[in-house]
Order: sequence, then structure tokens, then C-alpha cells
Amino acid sequence: MDRTTDLLGNPLTVDDIELLDLYRRLKALSGRADLPPVATANVKQAMVMLWNACNDLALLHEEPGCD
Amino acid sequence: MPAPTSPYWNPKTETLPKDQLRALQLTKLQRLVERAWHTSPFHRRLYEKAGVRPEHIKTLDDIRRLPFMTREDWMDNQAGKPMFGDLITRPESDAIRYHLTSGTSGRQPLRVLDSRKDWSWIADMWCYGFWGFGIRPDDKVFFAFSYGSFIGFWGAHYCCEKMGCLTLASGNMTTEQRVKQIVEMGVTVVCATPTYALRMGQTAEKMGIDLKRDGKVRRVVVSGEPAGSIPAVKKMIEDMWGGKCGDTAGMTEIGTIMIFECDHQPGGPHIIEDHFIEEVLDPDSGTPMSYGERGERVVTSFGRGFIPLIRYRTKDLVCKVPHTHCDCGRTGDIYEGGILGRVDDMKLIRGTNVYPRAVEAVVREHAEVEEFQIVIQRVDNVQDEITVKVELKPDQQDCWPRLQAQLGKDLADAHEGLRFNVEQAKTGELPRFELKAKRLQDLRPKY
Ligand SMILES: [Zn+2]
Repeated sequence: MDRTTDLLGNPLTVDDIELLDLYRRLKALSGRADLPPVATANVKQAMVMLWNACNDLALLHEEPGCD
Repeated sequence: MPAPTSPYWNPKTETLPKDQLRALQLTKLQRLVERAWHTSPFHRRLYEKAGVRPEHIKTLDDIRRLPFMTREDWMDNQAGKPMFGDLITRPESDAIRYHLTSGTSGRQPLRVLDSRKDWSWIADMWCYGFWGFGIRPDDKVFFAFSYGSFIGFWGAHYCCEKMGCLTLASGNMTTEQRVKQIVEMGVTVVCATPTYALRMGQTAEKMGIDLKRDGKVRRVVVSGEPAGSIPAVKKMIEDMWGGKCGDTAGMTEIGTIMIFECDHQPGGPHIIEDHFIEEVLDPDSGTPMSYGERGERVVTSFGRGFIPLIRYRTKDLVCKVPHTHCDCGRTGDIYEGGILGRVDDMKLIRGTNVYPRAVEAVVREHAEVEEFQIVIQRVDNVQDEITVKVELKPDQQDCWPRLQAQLGKDLADAHEGLRFNVEQAKTGELPRFELKAKRLQDLRPKY
């Protein structure tokens, strides 16, 4: 995926980059099987909220695996 | 922490210039069709039959190459492959919510599933509406809602939690208990169907409570019935509650709202165009209608991952006007007058078209009316008669027969001179409603 622009082709701002980075880190963490349920479940919730912000801001769309 | 001062929930996309908004819609549509093709056998069959593939969607106008999806197709799919058909894109185990349509028309309800992501998105669409209507984190929001299997205000409840409002649920309460709590808690926002907002107001009066004086309500958010955009209904609600009344509309098939009234209230709700494509088509020919012409809403939703909704025939009657009818700065177009009714709820009486919503708009101009019902009968197997039964407010009984004559005239004037019988019903005789009101009884033989 092109990490330098949003869905409209605008260059990502510093805040956009921060949001996307948080989302990707949470997504990676929520995919791990070796964490306790308390971590996995709460991280997944947080990841979904970050997806929501990034999706609404047109930084990304869809994203399989973030359910 | 101070609340953000933006009048928009999502300033970036809500004020996008139209050409960029269309470009965003195209990108999302292409990805949606691609995903539906690969993950929803229902859609794959539909598209293969129509000879269309994802790569055929090159411009926004190419949406018209895609076949329509109907409620009947969806129900058949569920019936043929219980419980959810092969429309859904993911295994049932990925879902966290299960809801049903309200089944207002006595039909088989539709069953829907939502993932965590879908559920968060559903709440977010309500946030566009609530924030846009001026609701903020320091509001106390009361939901006069049953919290059952019907999706209704569920998403709005989670929206308010997301925004940081104090969120009050009232599924277990009587109308009197609800009124009492709204006053006691200093509730600032009330959410209900328009019918039920009126009923709570009437109940408060009977309890000796003046909501304007004793309450703190500054916004009433209504949903679920076309009446929410009838100016006379809004005025009645505002006169009772003392706060501004704003309309929203959604559907179980989407899971959330797709239109909302902004704080400027230009005469209709804005479409959330970065998440939906709303086409307005001639219900018979399927050709697009121009701005200002009435037609059927056909919706494509970019949000719900579990259930791709692409060119879904809603049977809602609407009239789209450009976003420039409002000066709030949003670039989402507007449905003038909200949802105007259903394509199939028109009644033909002695050659004249009668829509229940239009009758309600006339009846609600008369503040003496507490409740009403429309009854259509065939007399002597020949003549169709339409009667409006009216229940007056307890303190307005002496306005009859003046009101009877005036209402008869107003209804006739609004319907090419068609004669309406206007009858008085006894106090408490007519049914009251909490969810979607059913005020029309067509007793004519069906053949
Ligand atoms: Zn506006």
C-alpha cells in the first residue's frame, strides 16, 4: 500500500501518519496468539477504533482482518 | 479536556469539494464491488448473471451497470440457505451483533450480523448526525427505546458513549417513568420516534409536568418514521419539549443512519456521502431523476463489512436537492422534506393519490388533535371512502364541529378536492405507538 498519500491522493500529514502507525501497531498486536485474553481483546477493540478514525479520514478503506 | 470546536464530526470529508467527494466514492465503490465479488457468493452470482465484473467500474456512472439488489432477493437467499444466506462475507463466528428488521409490514424479518468493525462504523454514522445537530460531550442523552432485537437507536446509544455524553437507557421504563427521569436527571437530549416524542409530551401534560419549564431538553432527535420531517409535527414536538427537533433516517439493512439534519435545518437532512451513494431513480423505469424530482432511494453503503449493500432498492420516496440549499458548509446533498413516504404506500381513492404522510402533514397543522387514524373502506362494493378519525386533546373538546369542517376542507384542498369523512373518536379510543406508528387501515377487499 502507498503510505505517502490518502485515498484522495493528498500527501499524508504528520497526524495522519501517526494515526496510521498506531492502527498498524495495534493490528499487529491483536493478531498475536501468545498474549493473554485481556490484552488481545482490548487491543482488538482499540485497533477497531483506530481503523474507524483512519477509514473516516479516508486514509484507508476496508482492510481485511481488522474485524 | 475541552471539546473540539469543529461544527463537523469529520471536517475533512463533510466539506470535501464535490469533485473530490465523487472521486472518493468511486475509489470506495471499486473496492466494495471487488470485495463483494470475491467474498459474497450472492453478489458474484448477481454480477455474473448481469455480465459485469469489478474491473468494469471505471467511473461513478458505471454503478448503473450493476444490477439492483432487492429485499425480496435477500429474503429468498436467507430462506434458501438459513440462517443468513450466502450474502454474508465472513463466517458467523466473526460477528458480535445480531439484529432483525422490525417486520412492520407483517413480512418475514431480515436477519443481520455485524462485526466489531461494522458496529464501530454504525456508531460513527450516528456521530456524524448527532455532532452535526449540535450534540456535544457534556450533553445528557436519553433514549426512549426498547433495546430489543430491532436495531433502532442501538447505534445512536454507542455513538453517544463514543462522543463522551452521559447516556441514559430506558428499555424497562413506562412512559411516565421516562418523563420523570428526563426531568429529574436534567436530560438535555431526547431520542425517540416522532410519534413517541409526542406521546411522552402528552403524558407529561397529564402528569402536570411542563417540560419547557421543568425540563432542560434542548434537542429532540427523532428517527424511524417519515413524520420526523413534517414541519407541523416538528413544531408540536418543539412546543412540548422546548428544544429543537431534528430528523434522522436509517434502516436495518444499513444498520445505521445515512441522512441527518444539521444544526442549520435547511428543510431536509444531508446525505453522508463519504459513506453512501444515494441514487434517486424512477421506481418503474429505474432511470435517474434530476434534482428536485421525486423518486425511489437506491442505496450503496461502504460501511458494513459483513453485508455488502450495493444498489439496494429501498422503496423510500425522496426528493434530492443540492447541498447549496444549506449554508452549513457540508457538501453532502439534501433530501428535501426527508423521507417522503414509501413508493408502495400510496393509496388510490376515487382516482386521487393519497399518501399517509401527506394526510398526517395536514392533520398535524391542527394542534387540537392528540391522535388520529386513517380508515379506507369500500361501501356497497363500489365506492371507496376515506375517513380520518380524530381524537382531541382533553382540554380541546369544544373545538368540534369547527375543527371537523376545517380539517375536511384542508384535506380536500390538499387532495384535488377529494372528500374525506372526518369523525371524532372518544378519548383513549385510538391506538398509541412506541415504535413505528400504524395509523392507516385499508379495509377494502384484496383481490
Ligand atoms: Zn447543513
